[in-house]
Amino acid sequence: MTGLFYAAAMALLVTVALALVRAWKGPGTIDRIMAAQLVGTGVIGVALTLGAARGDATMLDAALVATLLAALAVAAFVASRAPRGARKDGEDRS
Amino acid sequence: MSLVFDLVLCLMILGTAAASLLMRSALGGIVFFIAFGNLLGIAWLSLGAVNVALAEIAIGAGVTGILLILAHARLSAMGDPVECEPTSPWMRAAVAVICGGLIVLLSVAVLSISPTDRMGAQIATLMPALGIENPVTGVLLAFRAYDTLLETFVLLGALVAVWAIAPPRGWPQRPASLAIATPVSLTVIGTFSRVLLPASLVMAAYLVWTGSDLPGGAFQGGTVLAGGILVAALGGAIALPRADDMRLRSVLVLGPAMFLGIGLGGIALGRFLSYPVGLEKALIVAIEYALALSIGATLALLVAGKPVPPAAVQEGGD
Repeated sequence: MTGLFYAAAMALLVTVALALVRAWKGPGTIDRIMAAQLVGTGVIGVALTLGAARGDATMLDAALVATLLAALAVAAFVASRAPRGARKDGEDRS
Repeated sequence: MSLVFDLVLCLMILGTAAASLLMRSALGGIVFFIAFGNLLGIAWLSLGAVNVALAEIAIGAGVTGILLILAHARLSAMGDPVECEPTSPWMRAAVAVICGGLIVLLSVAVLSISPTDRMGAQIATLMPALGIENPVTGVLLAFRAYDTLLETFVLLGALVAVWAIAPPRGWPQRPASLAIATPVSLTVIGTFSRVLLPASLVMAAYLVWTGSDLPGGAFQGGTVLAGGILVAALGGAIALPRADDMRLRSVLVLGPAMFLGIGLGGIALGRFLSYPVGLEKALIVAIEYALALSIGATLALLVAGKPVPPAAVQEGGD
């Protein structure tokens, strides 16, 4: 069973590598950010399968932390792309 | 299988590090920096250092990523092209020498640790006296508590430094609002953050609690807390506080002050930063919770940046 989990972790790591290729090629900034999200998702999967392969449940905590914080980058990116002058709409709600 | 996994991981870490340096577009470099942090987290997991992996994923991939993206956005808003200018050969040579020297020093330091180092065993024999089982927490909060105490004050000092560059009219107002300007995106992220903030509060509390026996602790918990606060601020669910808000200031100093207070209390028992027998775990957990709150608030405010005049809040941060 351990070998199977290692194989799964390996396969997920390869998908992360493919996502990195997309991040490198782009072409647009949004493609890169989405690729970063895909890397994040892949890394969560690797952490989970590695935890299963090693029989170490604390690795699930690392996967959980990665899951919680994965949305940060994309939220910050959306914030940074907002058109200027529209700020007042958002201001009343903050 | 494990060896192949580690080798592929090493190659990917080196690749992402190179890509984040060589990328022409600054945002592309940031994307690779975030991926680098995530992969480094996996490397620490693979080495069995879950404590470090948690910190690397939370700080390296999470909070530093958002800091860089917001810094990029603010520089662009100020008219800075955020492009890498051609570097002179002398500069390149100087950087190569400094980085090469650092690598040599680090290698010497790492290789000087003998494989038969007894430090782990020594700590293991001391741990039962503390009543906790995570040796990393034991080192941070008991055996090397002095270092940790100073680190918490350094973090506080960093925030004071950020506040010190506030423009005269900006002090002591709020930092530039992080809330997203586009109404649709604000609704999406706002709704999402109202789910994420409670989840991150629970996760932060859990990480601190579990940190006494399993990987986790105040820094990891505090960073998760900061992440939740930042998403909530981006989604407009919470407003960032004024710099002179007494509640905010008490939260900021709570952790370091409590750590220092309990440490000073130790003098009465014979030594600075020693814990009374029987109360070690209770005091360590209390310090960790207070520290996590302070670290979370400090990190979130470090990312939010300096206080700005209210008028500038209208344009700032976009």
